[in-house]
Order: sequence, then C-alpha cells, then structure tokens
Amino acid sequence: MKKILALALALTMVLTLAACGGDKPAETTAPKAPSIVSPVTPDPAAFGYNVRGVDIEMHAEAAPILEALGEPVSYTEEASCAFDGLDKTYYFGGFYLQTYPLNGVDYVYSVWLVDDSSTTPEGVYIGASQAEVEAAYGAEGFNGSNAYIYTSSTATLTILVENGVVTSIQYDAVVK
Amino acid sequence: MKKNFLKLTAALAVCLVVLWLLQMLLMPKYMTESKEGNLIAEYYDDFEEHGPHDVIFIGDCEVYENFSPITLWEEYGITSYIRGSAQQLIWQSYYLMEETFEYETPKVMVFNVLSMKYDTPASTGAAAQREAYNRMTIDPMRWSMSKWNCIQASMTDMEREKEAEWMYLFPILRYHDRWSDLSAEDFKYWFKRGDVADNGYLMQTGVKPLVHDHVEKPLVDYSFADSCWEYLDRMRELCEKHGTELVLIKAPSLSPVWWDQWDAQIEEYAEKYDLVYWNFLEHQEEIGIDWNTDTYDTGLHLNVYGAEKMSRYFGQLLVDTFDLPDRRSDAELSAVWADKVAVYNERKAKLEAETASATEGE
Repeated sequence: MKKILALALALTMVLTLAACGGDKPAETTAPKAPSIVSPVTPDPAAFGYNVRGVDIEMHAEAAPILEALGEPVSYTEEASCAFDGLDKTYYFGGFYLQTYPLNGVDYVYSVWLVDDSSTTPEGVYIGASQAEVEAAYGAEGFNGSNAYIYTSSTATLTILVENGVVTSIQYDAVVK
Repeated sequence: MKKNFLKLTAALAVCLVVLWLLQMLLMPKYMTESKEGNLIAEYYDDFEEHGPHDVIFIGDCEVYENFSPITLWEEYGITSYIRGSAQQLIWQSYYLMEETFEYETPKVMVFNVLSMKYDTPASTGAAAQREAYNRMTIDPMRWSMSKWNCIQASMTDMEREKEAEWMYLFPILRYHDRWSDLSAEDFKYWFKRGDVADNGYLMQTGVKPLVHDHVEKPLVDYSFADSCWEYLDRMRELCEKHGTELVLIKAPSLSPVWWDQWDAQIEEYAEKYDLVYWNFLEHQEEIGIDWNTDTYDTGLHLNVYGAEKMSRYFGQLLVDTFDLPDRRSDAELSAVWADKVAVYNERKAKLEAETASATEGE
C-alpha cells in the first residue's frame, strides 16, 4: 500500500509540476486584478492633450496633473463589479479626464473634449471642419463614415464628425 | 498481471483523489472578498434541496445587485433565482441558460441586455481582468457540455492557441502555484463554502448617493455586433423550445451608460419577435428609486432598499403580464421560503450593523 501511495504521490507531483512549464493566459493567480496589470510608461511622442499649460499623456500618473489643473467642476467614480479600486472621472469644464487605478496609484486613462473652449495641440476643436482635421492629422485615419481614428504607441486619438463638423475629440490609453 | 493492473488502478485512483483535494484547496474561495465568485455555484444546491423556480434571472451584476427574489416571494409568492455573475458576457449567459434548462423549466427567463455591448471575448478588457471575471462565472459551473462550450466561447484567439481552455476544465493547472497565497479561508472552506447570497441576490446595505450624472464618451458605432444578436437569437429559440417566456430587461443602473441607440435596437428586436422588453431606466419614478438613499455606489447598482423597491415593481409587472401563480398557499414551499426569509433578514441586520459601524468610524 505504501508503494501505491508513493507512486500516486509521485505521479501527482509530476502532473502538477508539468503544468508549470505551460503558458498562462494571464499573470494573476487570484481573482483580484485591475484592468491594467503593470505600469505603462507614457510616450511623449504619442498623442497627448495640453490644456492650461499642463501636458496630459495617457498612462501618466494622474496626481500631479490633477493638482496642476485645480478643482474640477464635477467628479464621479465607479468601481467595477468585483474589483478593488475606482475608475474616476473629473470634469474641468470643456473636457473630461478619466483615470484608472493600479496598485493604489491613479493613471490617466482618457481625456475627451466636449465644447470649443479648448483645442488639441494640433489646433483641432469641437466645431472644426473635416478639412481642418485632415490638415492637422492627415486623412488616413478616416473610417469612411463618422470618425478619424489615429493610433500611436500608448494613445489613440478619436475625432467624431457629423455633417462635416467635429463633435467629439477623445484621447484614450492603449490597453493591451 | 492482474495484480499489477489492480495496483496501477489503485495508484491512479489515489492520484486523482490527491489532485482533486489539491484543486479544491488551491482554488480561490471568494468567501470574504469578491463574493460574486460564489454566486453561480450556489444555484445547484438550492435547486437540489428546494426544487424549481417560476422565474430565473440571467445576466451580470445588474441582476444580482438589483433584484431580490426574497421580496418577490414575500410580496407576490413568486419563486425565483438569479443566475448572475460579475461581467457575465452574453455567450456565458446563453450557456448558463442552456444549463439551467437541464435542471428546470421556469415559466419566465429574464435576461439583462447590458452585455450586448461586448462583441468578442477580447473586447471585454485586459487579459487579467477578463480571466478573473471568466473564472467567477465558469469555474463554479458543474461539468457539462454547456460548461465546455461556455469555456470555448469565452476564449480569445490567443488563449485558444495556448489551449487555455484546459485550465478552465481542470483549474489546478491554473492555480497550482497559489501555495504562497493560501490563507485561513482556503482551509476553512476547503470542502464546503457558505452561502453568500439569497437565491443569487448579493445584498449590499451601504448608501453612497449619486452626486453627479455619470457620463461616457460618445461611440464611433452604436450597432450591436452580429455575434451578440446570434446569442440573443439562440436564447430566444431555447426559451421557445421549452415554452418559457423570454423577458428582456435593462436594469435601472445609471452606469455603464445605456445609450438610446442601443435601446432602440433592443426595442426593435423585441417587437420583431413579440418579446417583452422593459427598460427600467425609464421607470425610475414609478419604481420609487431615490438615488440619495437607494444606491451603495453612486448609481451603478441599487442597495438592498433600492432592490426591494425594484422587486416590488417588477413582481407586479410579472404577475400582470404572465399570470404567475402565488405559491404562498403551498405549505411545504412556504416553509422553505420562511427559512430563506429568515436568513435574508438576519443577513440584512448583520450587514446594516456593519454599515452603521463603518459609518461611525469615518
């Protein structure tokens, strides 16, 4: 009986350890996990927004940016169904800034412009024409119907148009 | 020869038992954190102990946080169960529905349509979060073809290439290195977990009022994907086959935003197939939801006070529309539900005390 038990345990060990060599679908072993699992270094060359002299890059740490921008007009937060940490949305009048949490630190997730009080660093604003968009960013990002989508290393810039006029400008962090 | 064969068989049996024991120990227990991970598993015991239900809810957090089966029983004598899980995706909802029909045939199947917004497994978030949510829905499912198909449907192309489905079928392959994370909870609930929910309803007693409206960026394209329509078709056909009424709902959660363009598509679908579709965002006033008192997270989900209001309103709609029987005249069933009501009230009192204590500490 001892031999059987030893054989069984050895086989169990072999089977269990054999799994160690396999690829894993994700790095977490427990269910707690943020939506982005490791810090992403912001890329200054990627699309970014600048307002009131403050550079806002996707994946940048939010705290110094928020401090520089001052008191928001409004603020909402959302917890996902089963995870720790909050997605936070700040409205600064003219644009929203959204952050995601990672290991207790908030990072910039997106910025979107909602009125013509501010423009992109390339000079595009809500109400600009499609020609102005194409002059600033090129025509290759047009999806053929209602949006220009430009992707860089860590950020995506989406410009929605309606009847030839820009209606929304959005910067989003690229999530892999 | 025969002796050797017996020895080998015995060794294999011992090996399998040891592996099973290890798997049971190493899998997360979800008893104190991420309790949502226990919701799917609790259904099986409830069905086996207490029998079928007249109404089954299927969907994401918008069902297991916003509807209280206990209230539906107390107010209308409706027997119901919520087969909900965190970020349950439409393909998972379909297979959970399919699996549910293997156990029982409810009169009404309620499906919350928010998950129509996700078209593929890859669209549902970064890999780690996606897997964590998948685990909470799939791991607790009992072995069946529905589970296997649910696993397959939940894999991204990259995960399929890596044959990650086997890690869902045999979770020890995924959790074998969780030794260092084991806690007292893992040993306490090694073989038997406690009930975290009331017929699938996960109670919350906190209050965190809505202060500012939730906003989201406009979308480039509001069309639901073909893949989602296909699963909705399959749900409808499955319910038709079993003579069950499929009811589409949008719970009154304020975020994620339920766009008008999405609502119009579901309305059109419901009209085309003569289905009932209730968007409760349009009935907040009649329901009596007060976003100052009835939410624990600024409007994303209702707390127990909001869920009870929602359930009173919904129960009346169900009774009026589908002529559901009032089971309170059934003595045996009433005894079962009296116990459930007692557990619910006890849980509510305990959580309210904890909430009060936490509020005092702030």
